[in-house]
Amino acid sequence: MMNPLPLVLATLRRNPVTTLTFVALIAVAVALGVAITSQERALKRGSAHAADRFDLVIAAPGSQTDAMLKAVFLRTGSIELLKPEVVARAFAEPHAEIVAPIAFGDSHDGAPIVGSVPAFVTHLSGGALSEGRVFADHEEAVVGYASPLKLGDTFHPTHGDGHDELGGDGDEHGHDHEHGAELTVVGRMAPTGSPWDTAIVVPVELTWELHNLPNGHGKGSEQVGPPYVPSELPGVPALVVKPDSVAAAYGLRNIYRAQDSTAFFPAEVLVELYALLGDMRQLMNVMALATQALVIVAILAGVMVLLRLYRVQFAVLRALGAPRAFIFLTIWSYVALIVAAGALAGLGLGMGLAGTVSAAFTAETGIALDATVGAAELWLIAAIVAIGMAVATVPAALLYRKPVIDALR
Amino acid sequence: MFAIENLTLSYRDGGGRPFTVLELPALELGRESLVVVTGPSGSGKSSLLYALCGLLTPTTGTVRHEAQDIYALSESRRDRWRRATVGLIFQDFHLIPELSPLANVALATRFGGTADRAALAARAQMLLEALQVPTARRHASMLSRGEQQRTAIARALLFDPPAIFADEPTASLDAEASRLVADRLQALARDEGRLVLAVSHDPIVISRADRVLHLERGHLTETLSREEIPA
Repeated sequence: MMNPLPLVLATLRRNPVTTLTFVALIAVAVALGVAITSQERALKRGSAHAADRFDLVIAAPGSQTDAMLKAVFLRTGSIELLKPEVVARAFAEPHAEIVAPIAFGDSHDGAPIVGSVPAFVTHLSGGALSEGRVFADHEEAVVGYASPLKLGDTFHPTHGDGHDELGGDGDEHGHDHEHGAELTVVGRMAPTGSPWDTAIVVPVELTWELHNLPNGHGKGSEQVGPPYVPSELPGVPALVVKPDSVAAAYGLRNIYRAQDSTAFFPAEVLVELYALLGDMRQLMNVMALATQALVIVAILAGVMVLLRLYRVQFAVLRALGAPRAFIFLTIWSYVALIVAAGALAGLGLGMGLAGTVSAAFTAETGIALDATVGAAELWLIAAIVAIGMAVATVPAALLYRKPVIDALR
Repeated sequence: MFAIENLTLSYRDGGGRPFTVLELPALELGRESLVVVTGPSGSGKSSLLYALCGLLTPTTGTVRHEAQDIYALSESRRDRWRRATVGLIFQDFHLIPELSPLANVALATRFGGTADRAALAARAQMLLEALQVPTARRHASMLSRGEQQRTAIARALLFDPPAIFADEPTASLDAEASRLVADRLQALARDEGRLVLAVSHDPIVISRADRVLHLERGHLTETLSREEIPA
């Protein structure tokens, strides 16, 4: 049986720098494709998971994407407030299990402080905290799973992150400053894989009070959570609603898609974003494929030049009695091994690249991304290896019939 | 053993005009002889050698080995015939530098169609030891030039062919290494009964020849027997 492998490996070793350059070029081109597809899938999965517990969001009229980014993903920036009467109406909805105001405006050590209600903290944490308990007092706080604060730690909330979302009386010069209140950490949420993992959740009543707004219950009241006194409710950036049924969810969405509010399922907004992302991914995939095709063509040209340098070797093999099929197989294996090694290295490099981007993205946004090898990446590798093996027949076919004597003279 | 009849090898030059590089009405080459082919550059020496081993199809005429017209064989059968019948030795050795001496000698066992690879590998080892090539060397490139040529001789002998064809086998070697190689070629002919055909201008090789063929412009102009070769 023909076995050109020792010869192929010897030929590959002859110009290690050139061989490694060919492999590296293919690896980089493949890595781009792998990173794009795995990253896009991880982003979809991570963002969908992060928005999982946000059934319905009610916000002031305007961009739903903007409202979702702020309420669900805690992105900073200005947002129109829901009018107090809309907030009061929502709290009175009979088919809402949880109505949770999401109020921003303060931070601590760069972590956003979000005002909400105890039931939402429990809901977001999957039904139970990982340690401690939910806040029961205005000066208590629950931290996200990844917060550096420990149970029993105290801290002073700092007003603002450049924006005052509640329309209260922040620093008149727009500067951040520390509030007088001292908060104690009493609980830690379970991991959510979302920006809420680094956030601090406090009673919304405290947030309102710190911003000199009515606290929902009446001056001096220490109550935490609903019921609220409608006349004591201020406006809020958004409400997260957990309806008691699917029908109620659609019903509430319809009711609050009105002149003075908008309502949406974060999942549907994400689907729109995915569609946009999908278009971009397609464009990037085309670019990655074009890059891969160009790299393979360039490498083919390089291999042709290199193999011409080896034509004497192939002529000697023929003179020693090697059949043409052996020469064909040797050249084909040589090119195919370079492509296969490059594709496999590209898979590893691509996953490394996707992992690095994921880690950076998670650090920046708090959305947990887990880029893994999926069927799409394996198909991509298989396709590139298959194309490489088909392309490898070109130099093999061109060189295996070269006259022996021309090279030997 | 080999018989040439009315052999011509013609090509076309750059202007498309035909020119003949070799024209031999008749030539017979038998076993147990070291035949040296001499002649100026372009006289057809290498063309004769490659025509005899089935690598250069004649324009006219026949090349027979033991009555078989070798160019009547299909290419694949001619490949197998060459592997079994002719061992080739080149001026520049043409070893695979990254392979060990042993792997170089046994290279042809990778071509397929060899029945007992283990026996051939053992023979390769034996040949290298007989030719005093240090087999422990990891790569052929680590051998001296004389050792490389002896490795090439071992490679030519792997299938124990009845004929050895050598193209300027000592041209890249110093006098001492040339003497060793010439002695070996002579022994292959006289002691082992092979036909050894060497294209060479090296007096060391010529002095050991049983017969010298001198070519000029593609024609055999002189044939010297053992007794007629100057010492």
